[in-house]
Amino acid sequence: MGTIIEASATARAAAHRRSLTPGALELADAAARSCLERAERTADELDLLINAGVYHDRILSEPAFASLIQEDIGANLSHPEVAGHGTFSFDVYNGACGVLTGISLVDGMLASGTVKLGMVVASDMDPEPGISEGFSFPGVGGAILLSADDFRAGFTAFRFATFPEFAELFHSAVDWQDNARGGPAGPGRNVLTVEIAESYVGRALDCAESTVHELAHAQALDLGDVDRLIATTSVPGFADGLATRLGVSAELVASLPDGLARAHTAAPLVALESAALEPGSTTLFVSAGAGITVAVALYRA
Amino acid sequence: MEKSGPPAREGEHWMSLEGGADGSPNGAPYTSRFVGIGASLPERRLTSDELMASTKHRTGIDLERLTGVRERRIAGEDEDSYTLAVGAARNALAYADCAAEDLDMVIVSSISHYVGGLRWQLDPPLSILVKEAIGARRAVSFDISNACAGMMTGTFLLNDMIRQGRIRRGMVVSGEYISQLGVNAALEVRTMMDDQLASLTVGDAGAAAILERAPDGAPGIEVAGFTTLAEHSRLCLAFPARVGRGAAMYSDARTLQEVGIEDTVPMLREALNQAGLEFDDIDYFIPHQTSARAIHKGVKEFSESMGGTPKHVVVTVDEFGNTSSTTHFVALWKYLREGRFAKEDRVLLLSIASGLEVGIVIFKVDQLVGRYGHDH
Repeated sequence: MGTIIEASATARAAAHRRSLTPGALELADAAARSCLERAERTADELDLLINAGVYHDRILSEPAFASLIQEDIGANLSHPEVAGHGTFSFDVYNGACGVLTGISLVDGMLASGTVKLGMVVASDMDPEPGISEGFSFPGVGGAILLSADDFRAGFTAFRFATFPEFAELFHSAVDWQDNARGGPAGPGRNVLTVEIAESYVGRALDCAESTVHELAHAQALDLGDVDRLIATTSVPGFADGLATRLGVSAELVASLPDGLARAHTAAPLVALESAALEPGSTTLFVSAGAGITVAVALYRA
Repeated sequence: MEKSGPPAREGEHWMSLEGGADGSPNGAPYTSRFVGIGASLPERRLTSDELMASTKHRTGIDLERLTGVRERRIAGEDEDSYTLAVGAARNALAYADCAAEDLDMVIVSSISHYVGGLRWQLDPPLSILVKEAIGARRAVSFDISNACAGMMTGTFLLNDMIRQGRIRRGMVVSGEYISQLGVNAALEVRTMMDDQLASLTVGDAGAAAILERAPDGAPGIEVAGFTTLAEHSRLCLAFPARVGRGAAMYSDARTLQEVGIEDTVPMLREALNQAGLEFDDIDYFIPHQTSARAIHKGVKEFSESMGGTPKHVVVTVDEFGNTSSTTHFVALWKYLREGRFAKEDRVLLLSIASGLEVGIVIFKVDQLVGRYGHDH
């Protein structure tokens, strides 16, 4: 039995500008709804909903962002009088590796039979445009719907690794900044600052390359057999660089569309939109994020 | 209009449930069990009287009488979410008698992510720092966030993975540095009906739990279950404060309490049925610690609905306040250290948290008592 992708979808802030005031929540809602529609599923069929986005509207810390998404898409909002099944939702924070972490958790609960249908949603948006410092991620959301299949392999392996010696290369925090001039902002305000060092991409490539080789070794995977590479790290140039290092043809790299090269947590789902996963094909997902954390997953469609 | 709900599937439950009657793995190859509960409490104490004396406006609120919170712990200058989490993690490892290198997974489940004082870290996740500090180099790590149900959610995830044999041993840990909610609320609260009143009840604490695969036939976690009743998701919201450092929390605490109690009854019934138990088979009932009044009201209504009463109801909110995701495990740690449990005791942990999250874990204490020097 394998965990298979039933559908995925994305929602871009730019595309929704006329109909939404696209905050991270609306982007997540739109992506989740679109994903369910593509799979011809209803929200009530969801057993599990995991949000992996990091940069929320108002930098909300409570409740779990996933519970807001659950309410918005109308997934088993309250316990009915008759028998049924509910939806369990919570957030996973693992930076740019959050989607693959969420998928691995859904995979575990599908295998145990604890859930039958799970979704991972991720979206990021500048919570305070004009106030935040260093925020360069485009507003985009993504969703992926997963279920168990008795006859298809699906996700066959995951590998996670952390490299804390590079923790300072990608850092973001909300901290108080005094406002010496007073005025409407009063004595000061809490401000989000994102800092990504120029050397981050190179280090992320080093970390990702070694982690991919570990997975390949453990799974007896010949990287020449990879049909599609979906590699993301919130800054441009990562996927092509990793393909070169791994000896994977540039033609097999799922690229991010113009304007979304810096997509953060939803990036793997954005890249997946451009990649047709043919039956029998092998896809290698690689995400690198702050930490440095690397997540690698092998998917056999 | 009567709600029809989604069509039922064979053998299904409203909650996502793991486990079964008599502690059997119920289809899974293994049983998981707690082997170490750790905590880290700041030395500084702040009484409710002291906190209410600091409010900007004259409120006339007798907070201790209203909530039962006599005092809470307050982080010192060198303490924050990270240091409290690390302290609790080390404490749990000592009781579990295992090395950090033996951990396959580390899940950080704090709501608060303060590192270096009131600096809220988003990237990298806190788990990277905690894992490095304790030396859990082999462990897969990530953060989760599920309001006050965070540690219970982590327990649910670890339990599922251990039962399947995906991992052998894991830790869930939280460091909650949330007392600044009270400091910020004290600037704005005016009446008992204020939507920041609940912020005045919170306290700081770290807690950690280590779970591992139990030997064949040994008792452990019998049932773990969770669900989210999201029609109530917006009853409590927290985000960076406008009035000062740290966060602010706004909640409709009264409604949250009412719907929490009402919606939990069918979930309790479901989890107990799954375990083949009645409510009065529970020796120690440990609910989320919001206020003494809410706990007693909840137990009364649960007991009337379930037709039984647990032998003991654990209340620690008087001493520690509401320590958010850590409350159940701070209470467990305190009772284990004080030798309150017997080996054969059965404990039910109940989360009712913003979301609205309802989580239940039922387990036998068994070998845990010996680890705290009370093997009787």
